[in-house]
Amino acid sequence: MNYLDLTIKEIHEALVNKQVTPLELVNEALKRAKEDKCNAFEYIMEKEALSLAKTLTEPEKDNLLWGIPFAIKDNISTKGVPTCASSDILKGYVPIYNATIIEKLLKKKAIPFAKVTLDELAMGGTGATGHLGKTTNPYDVSHERMVGGSSCGSAAVVSSAIVPFALGSDTGDSIRKPASYAGLVGFKPTWGRISRYGLFPFTPSLDSLGFFTRSVYDSALILNIVAGYDKNDFTSSREKVDDYTSDLNKPIKGIKIAVIKEILESVSDPYIQKKFQETLKIYEELGAKINYVSVNHHLLKTLFPTYYIISCAEATSNNANLDGVKFGLNLEGNTFNDSLIKTRSEGFSERIKRRFVIGSYSLMAENQNELYLRATKNRHKIVDEINKVLKDNDVIFLPASPSVAPKFDNKIDQLEDEYLIADNYMVIANFAGLPSITIPTGFVNDLPFGFNLTASAFAEKKLFNIAKALEDKLGYYNLSARTKK
Amino acid sequence: MKTVDLKKLQTAANRLCFDMSEEEYQTLLNEFRTITKQMELIAEDKTIDQYEPMIYPFPCVINDLRDDEPINPSNRDEILKNAQNKLAGQIKVKKVNG
Repeated sequence: MNYLDLTIKEIHEALVNKQVTPLELVNEALKRAKEDKCNAFEYIMEKEALSLAKTLTEPEKDNLLWGIPFAIKDNISTKGVPTCASSDILKGYVPIYNATIIEKLLKKKAIPFAKVTLDELAMGGTGATGHLGKTTNPYDVSHERMVGGSSCGSAAVVSSAIVPFALGSDTGDSIRKPASYAGLVGFKPTWGRISRYGLFPFTPSLDSLGFFTRSVYDSALILNIVAGYDKNDFTSSREKVDDYTSDLNKPIKGIKIAVIKEILESVSDPYIQKKFQETLKIYEELGAKINYVSVNHHLLKTLFPTYYIISCAEATSNNANLDGVKFGLNLEGNTFNDSLIKTRSEGFSERIKRRFVIGSYSLMAENQNELYLRATKNRHKIVDEINKVLKDNDVIFLPASPSVAPKFDNKIDQLEDEYLIADNYMVIANFAGLPSITIPTGFVNDLPFGFNLTASAFAEKKLFNIAKALEDKLGYYNLSARTKK
Repeated sequence: MKTVDLKKLQTAANRLCFDMSEEEYQTLLNEFRTITKQMELIAEDKTIDQYEPMIYPFPCVINDLRDDEPINPSNRDEILKNAQNKLAGQIKVKKVNG
């Protein structure tokens, strides 16, 4: 056992008791990172991390992030550190400012350790589309299975116990689905709860920053530090920031948990179904009331196309600045336009170009009513339905994925319920801007899977409380592929 | 739903300033066929036009102005480090007309 195999809270105790130093943690993380076989790294901040760790000599008892190394999804700005969002279009780009979330963590003397991979520009859910190739699942020694995306590197490095937490971003389920495949706690907050200043925008109406940890407590702890209004992000919320750790152990007697029948029925794996029923019994034993609710099946089948049209439309507009002139890849041409076309043709992968064309086509005046506007109206309808469910319940509880991590060559029918609903329903939390958390709940053939809880806007405190109650009962705490507990 | 043809997709790609190969356009056309089928599910809902388009999950109401404080602008040299072509403290681009 090494201290990196512990949770943030436990590492903090060891740091305060001087059983380990930040420098020793960073050296061990470097050793582990160099052994990585999952292809999780864009840039290991060896010099920067060692240099900061050497300055940290007097532990701060009340600062739980003091000396804790962490990883950063490579679509988050880090001053002076190459940041390319796993895309060739941003080759060589070095931001000149830190994202607000990085500034807040630096202020607490947490140690930025590495920039990690993602699906190119955060557009994807497999972890297979970044410019460095596939990032694989640490639980699968054959490396044939995905860890999910788009926050693939973040999930892989926490699951490999290289760092105890990593930052990610979530536009559809990009933190919460990989958390399920990697046996981790994956959290996205209410839209606007964490400033997005410095996050490369993909779909700003859906994007949130969040994180991967190995315990619910650690997630609540990080939110305490990074939540809050930021004058640099006009969409950040002025809602009061709570102490998100204060109610973690409160009894959950009387809590109302909604299970959406149509979503649960779209999961075909019998083991996950069985485990879900067992988990509901645990919640009942804890005094929670389970309410099976119904949401129109036809409406649920429209979740994915609604997401796809909205996200492609916003992405095409938000990435128009990637022209190679001011930063990133720049290919020579005879004229300005020639250079622009060469740069964008080479810099974006085929998959990204297809998304941009779909987005641009959806926004054309002659198509807008049938595509983009129809999708935004449908988003409104979905959000109304979900908020109705949450009006009478404290959380919505469902499997986070219909299976354990699939193989990369897994074939799916994109018109079947399992894909349209079970595999993509977590986007409801992005449509409605709701806080949502995935926690590990079981294993099939040594591969983990998780269940997801979603609460009303700004109800993070309650969400963590309900998630922690289940974590305590199930005992799936501080899991990693390295220790395989 | 309107049908999507290759020419319309080429127009969209040209507007976005990138090239795609014939093979890539074929993949895109196939993708569009799936999306069209999926979007038809929404078109079947006759109540959909009763809903206003939703852009943000909550209203982003900003009813105050930021204080007029002097701030340190980004450093010119730092910004220029990211540009490949520069001249006399400016980013240099090729002539716009060929």
